[in-house]
Amino acid sequence: MDNMNLDQHISQRFNQDLEEIRSDLLEMGGIVENQVVDAIAALMDADSEKASKVLKTEDKVDIKEKSIDEECTQILARRQPAASDLRLVLAVSKTILDLERIGDEAAKIARYAIELSEEGESPRGYIEIRHIGNCVHKMLHDALDAFARFDVEQAIKVVKQDKSVDQDYATAIREMITYMFEDPHSITRMMNIIWALRALERIGDHGRNIAEQVIYLVKGKDVRHISYKEVKEKARS
Amino acid sequence: MSLTDTADASTGLAFGDEPSTVQENSSMDVSTSDIPETAVGQPLVSDPKMTMRNVDVFYGEKQAIFKVNLDIARNEVIAMIGPSGCGKSTFLRCLNRMNDTIVDCRVGGQIELDENSIFDAKLDVVSLRARVGMVFQKPNPFPKSIYENVAYGPKIHGLASGRTELDEIVETSLQKAGLWDEVKDRLQEPGTGLSGGQQQRLCIARAIAVSPEVILMDEPCSALDPIATAKIEELIAELSENFTIAIVTHSMQQAARVSDRTAYFHLGYLVEVNDTETVFTNPSHRLTEAYITGRFG
Amino acid sequence: MSEVKSTIEKVNAGLGKRYRSEKMFQWFGIISICFGLLCVLALFFDIIGKGHSAFKHHSIEIPIMFDADKLGITDINDTKQIYSANYDGVIKASLRELFPNVSGRTEKRKLYKLVSNGSYLTLQKMLLEDPSLLNQTTEVQLITDDDIDTYLKHFVGKESEFERIHAEQVEWLATLREEGRLISHFNTVFFQAGDSREPEQAGIFAALMGSFYTLIVTLCLSFPIAVAAAVYLEEFAPKNKWTDLIEVNINNLAAVPSIIFGLLGLAIFISFFGVPRSTPLVGGFVLTLMTLPTIIISSRAAIKSVPPSIREAALGIGASRMQMVTHHVLPLSLPGMLTGTIIGMAQALGETAPLLMIGMIAFIVDIPGSVTDPATVLPVQIFLWSDSPERAFTEKTSAAIMVLLAFLIAMNAFAIYMRKRLEKRW
Repeated sequence: MDNMNLDQHISQRFNQDLEEIRSDLLEMGGIVENQVVDAIAALMDADSEKASKVLKTEDKVDIKEKSIDEECTQILARRQPAASDLRLVLAVSKTILDLERIGDEAAKIARYAIELSEEGESPRGYIEIRHIGNCVHKMLHDALDAFARFDVEQAIKVVKQDKSVDQDYATAIREMITYMFEDPHSITRMMNIIWALRALERIGDHGRNIAEQVIYLVKGKDVRHISYKEVKEKARS
Repeated sequence: MSLTDTADASTGLAFGDEPSTVQENSSMDVSTSDIPETAVGQPLVSDPKMTMRNVDVFYGEKQAIFKVNLDIARNEVIAMIGPSGCGKSTFLRCLNRMNDTIVDCRVGGQIELDENSIFDAKLDVVSLRARVGMVFQKPNPFPKSIYENVAYGPKIHGLASGRTELDEIVETSLQKAGLWDEVKDRLQEPGTGLSGGQQQRLCIARAIAVSPEVILMDEPCSALDPIATAKIEELIAELSENFTIAIVTHSMQQAARVSDRTAYFHLGYLVEVNDTETVFTNPSHRLTEAYITGRFG
Repeated sequence: MSEVKSTIEKVNAGLGKRYRSEKMFQWFGIISICFGLLCVLALFFDIIGKGHSAFKHHSIEIPIMFDADKLGITDINDTKQIYSANYDGVIKASLRELFPNVSGRTEKRKLYKLVSNGSYLTLQKMLLEDPSLLNQTTEVQLITDDDIDTYLKHFVGKESEFERIHAEQVEWLATLREEGRLISHFNTVFFQAGDSREPEQAGIFAALMGSFYTLIVTLCLSFPIAVAAAVYLEEFAPKNKWTDLIEVNINNLAAVPSIIFGLLGLAIFISFFGVPRSTPLVGGFVLTLMTLPTIIISSRAAIKSVPPSIREAALGIGASRMQMVTHHVLPLSLPGMLTGTIIGMAQALGETAPLLMIGMIAFIVDIPGSVTDPATVLPVQIFLWSDSPERAFTEKTSAAIMVLLAFLIAMNAFAIYMRKRLEKRW
């Protein structure tokens, strides 16, 4: 993006600092994204090994979050960033929060995966999980991509995707409730699946948050808590 | 802000919690009991470039610096901050004995450069100043050509054996000071014709032309605009690879940007020395906290 | 009911008064300047009006027969004979030939009085240069007597106002003018000769040279001493009671009447050290004493005006104090020092009183060739001439003043030029 110019400060060290938090954020994003992919796969394939790998990665994410947070504090204390630099630091420090939460949600899914794998396979509900999981993964991927390229259009797309994920989630929940009526024995199972769906939906929300941060970072506009239409208008004006 | 409040300095949140203790106290109405005997933080380092022990400075009857103990590490940038009149400039000028030129000024205690006392009769003040260079508050190029300005130091110290060697020193010094590209075509023009920031970089080039080991900077950016200031700060960062730099600044943001360690002076006492990160995120002493958060000074 | 005035109304109310006082002050300044200018102009007009005629002089062209018998020269190679020859007789004979009708002793004396009685020197010089002139007749321009010259310059047609000219002489001069023998030319004697009792033979060259030597001595002594003193006091001396005392005394010395310095010179240099009196050497000593405080004060001011940041810069990269002074402070303060010096020199050039005390008021005919020859100086020469009774000396006095002023102006111009030039280099 033209108006970011992270590498054009007179101070080389400032350039390095900003570039570092940005690349660290993307690295953390990559880890979290893998976590999400692995967690969904673990659920699908009832692969408890993969699931425990996801749980282990959580520590890595936490460490990364702390170190990026520290870097942001350093930049704020030592560089007194302004304008786009300030927005970058703020956006990064908020985005890592979302990423950490996404990691937490992924860990939750992994835990349900372990529980479900112990109870044996059941094809019911997995189609919804696969579908929503794919959508949410794409959202997260696109959001991080938008952050990497400071791409507002892509961020707008992510916000739009979140809307459809929410609808899909509502449909899936209704379907799950129908299953539970049909087969009360499966309620425990279904509850796990619903929670997993719920976690995926939460991941989608966090993805949207990241996209909103990208819009704030590039355009300097706050697009939180408004409808997709308004977001689109505000971000493009 | 009541500065006589003896609340634990580490609980910085205690400040301003009770509005009743807040007074208009911008003056230095601070009892000296509030100031620690020895500076908190890490004033001393292992294998220091310069050491100062129990340094006192008097102007006539008035004592300006009280028992300062401080080490300057090799190749570090140490920033000295503090409210005006806290003695930071006075202290800096002790390090290359510039205070000698001031009538009535007496310096007590011990200052060592590479474990040799700078007050030693064997160490000539001229050679001390060649090893410990200085850049001043106001850019003060000599009213001579740019070339002459940089070449002056090497000339008087006999560092160059011939014209070509001198040319080389001038070029490398100007390059190190980031000024070469701007002035290489007009070396014979007067140095006073440059802009303020360029003049200050010329002064830095002049200082590094004699290859000092330590460079003292006394508020080097106070007369410059923000862009020129940024350039000087970047230069300081680059120079710290080869030189030890002590910088006095009245801008704590500048101290935050350029330095590795920060020393906080208050009323002639050294209050705190710490890594710059620590000083600006979690200072150890409440006076430091009060100053860098703009509660007085 | 009192009206409440707003701030701007109050300000506006006072504005008129403020502008008026400003205007008045401006006018006051302009009037002062005009008055000063008028005085200077009046002085210049007066002096130039009186003195300009001194740069011209009249000569009479007379055919002179260098008759060996009349001159009493037997051997042309004997310079002694040439020096002691009777040129006056030859001149008188030539004059009689021009006006054969003149008879009687008084008449003849009036005729001889047409030319300067120093005219023989001209013939003597001619013969010394070219001995082959002996027994030849040549046209020679002899300068007129001062009274004749004064008459020709100022009183032609107003003979009754000038009692020192006789009716016969007026007639003769008219004849000479008709014959084209009366010539007006640039007065080279004035610039080439020393003092003389005869106004037409008197010049300022001896005084000029005297002034020159005196100033050289003064400059050579006072500049180095004053600069050294100023540098020491400003840069090296500790600031204590002693230096304060010295400072006060230097300032006091600048205010001491110059005649005191003359007395001092008389007592110390001449009586005690035995320096020959009336010489540019002792004059230079005395004027050095007089100009020292001036130069020291202006040099110190010049040194003070060098910004301390330059000193710090030099010391900061390890220059010694001496290097700081010689490399930076002196070059920067030199224009100021030079200005002060030249002003001091101008003061010395115009100084009279102390030189009277040390005998430089002597009547000096010979051009001084060194600083130990007796000499006088321009202002003293002016003083001497202004005292002389001859009318022709009046215009010479004014002319000498013009020369002196020209030198002063030239020196000040030089000071300004030097300052501009030296300052431009930085």
